Amino acid sequence: MENNRASIKDYGYRDFTKLNKIYSIFKKVLVVLIVLGLYLSIIVIAIQSINESRNLSIFTNISFQWYANILQEEELMQAIKNTFLVSSIATVLATFLGTFFAVGLYALSKKSRVLWMLLNNVPILNADIVTGFSLMLMFRLLMVVFPNIFGLFTLVMAHLFFTIPYVILSVMPKLKETDPNLMDAAMDLGVKPYKALIKVVIPAIKAGIFSGMLLALTMSIDDFAISYFNTGAGFDNLSIWIYAVIGRRNLTPSVYAFSTLLTLFTLVGLLLYQFLQRQKKGKKDEKNSFNNISS
Amino acid sequence: MNKEFKVLAKPYMVWLSVLVFVPIIAMIFISFSNLNSSISVSEIALSLSHFKLLWESSTIIAFRNSLIFASATTFICFVLGYFIAYEIKLSKFKNKFILLTFVILPMWSNLILRTESLANIMSENNILKSIIGFNIFGNISGTWMAVLFGLVFTYMPFMILSVYTALEKIDYALEEAALDLGLTPFKKFWKVVFPLSFKGVVTGSIMVFLPTLAGFAIPKILSRGRIVFIGNIIENKFIYTNYNHGALLAVVILIFILGSIFLLTKFDKEGETLL
Repeated sequence: MENNRASIKDYGYRDFTKLNKIYSIFKKVLVVLIVLGLYLSIIVIAIQSINESRNLSIFTNISFQWYANILQEEELMQAIKNTFLVSSIATVLATFLGTFFAVGLYALSKKSRVLWMLLNNVPILNADIVTGFSLMLMFRLLMVVFPNIFGLFTLVMAHLFFTIPYVILSVMPKLKETDPNLMDAAMDLGVKPYKALIKVVIPAIKAGIFSGMLLALTMSIDDFAISYFNTGAGFDNLSIWIYAVIGRRNLTPSVYAFSTLLTLFTLVGLLLYQFLQRQKKGKKDEKNSFNNISS
Repeated sequence: MNKEFKVLAKPYMVWLSVLVFVPIIAMIFISFSNLNSSISVSEIALSLSHFKLLWESSTIIAFRNSLIFASATTFICFVLGYFIAYEIKLSKFKNKFILLTFVILPMWSNLILRTESLANIMSENNILKSIIGFNIFGNISGTWMAVLFGLVFTYMPFMILSVYTALEKIDYALEEAALDLGLTPFKKFWKVVFPLSFKGVVTGSIMVFLPTLAGFAIPKILSRGRIVFIGNIIENKFIYTNYNHGALLAVVILIFILGSIFLLTKFDKEGETLL
């Protein structure tokens, strides 16, 4: 009754300054903890790689002997070679085929494109173990005709099966972005459709092709479950080999050294790519601003 | 695009149909029949005898473990992953690509090796303890906490990426409008930002839930074989070449996956948030 003067709070204003302060500290702590959690395994791998002792539970001294030793570990080298062999074949083929498949899918009517894109998601969403197990059963049926099918061939086929969809998924949005008139213009100028595809469309979608290639390589190099079921004749990739060796509790620290090198290499590669990308963009911007001034 | 290029999709349609459907049909057939490597063609018959496996207590426990761990992992990844994705979106750092790269960088090193090194530092005497002097985990080696920790931090990048993709697409004008119309920042988040990013949450959840549900390497390494997931049973059936049982369990997992894909298509028609 007495207090019917409206306060600022009645208009919906609340003082959050105190809460915001607490929240911002809490936020920072949480971010640090989560990033630590994400990087914990990488940090431990790096520490193990520079540990002098072969014993994984005690840190004795810093030493780079395991790095020098990578080339001497025959089994490890063989696994690395196999991994790169399978992944490079699968990545090159998947990038090449996936690009043309994506163009083909894009040319379909919207309705059937949605349907096929849905099917294209199956290898990505399907659990590795189901994909791996079912492909293994199919290859086993083929064994009646080709007895020595398991090994490099089945691994490459299986890797193609799950890498092509990634290439298509990253090329498709770029195709949607390209100007449909581009193709028409090229053909009006007398170029045959497939030549126009290679000369005009492919250059326009090359960013998508490149990111598709990177994704395919990433998925292929790190794959464990699908490869596990589809390899044979002792053709182990790195994941399968590590999985088998940790069962025997006898993993050479050179693996950690190799993994750390690979992580550093990827990091440098990505930062370099980003840097180059930026420079290119910067140049373009300069050019644009120059054009703006001159016009 | 030129209709002539439709031809280019033909080989892929054949490839996809063969490699998606033939293995699945083979799998279903094998789980319903007495087919094995030592049987002659004339003796092949359909049978439901393998279905007994589904009522064995070890199978039921494995399914329960898989489902509980997958749900818990998905939920924790959702809470923490959404938070990180949102922080990346809000951050004043201009180059978001670099931040995202740092989030997914761990995924580039070998999954099995990362899991193994986590298992190492979860035991009582470990390399971190010998450097920093105390045990950051206590002694959780082989327990459910070890498995949960490994799963959450292995699959969280998927959630962060999906949610960030969805968050990035939200028009800032909408947020401004919400603030202008008198919502508090917190209400703005719940009423505007979160619903608009929900598509990304669904995609991210599926991308965390499915590999966790069907995984076998992480639980095996981190629980030291004590916690059995359904994937571990399939792996054992594979090692002992009991393909009928393995196929049957894989079919059950497949049913879960189809359900999830169906859910995804309700929210995201052409898989835009998948990448």
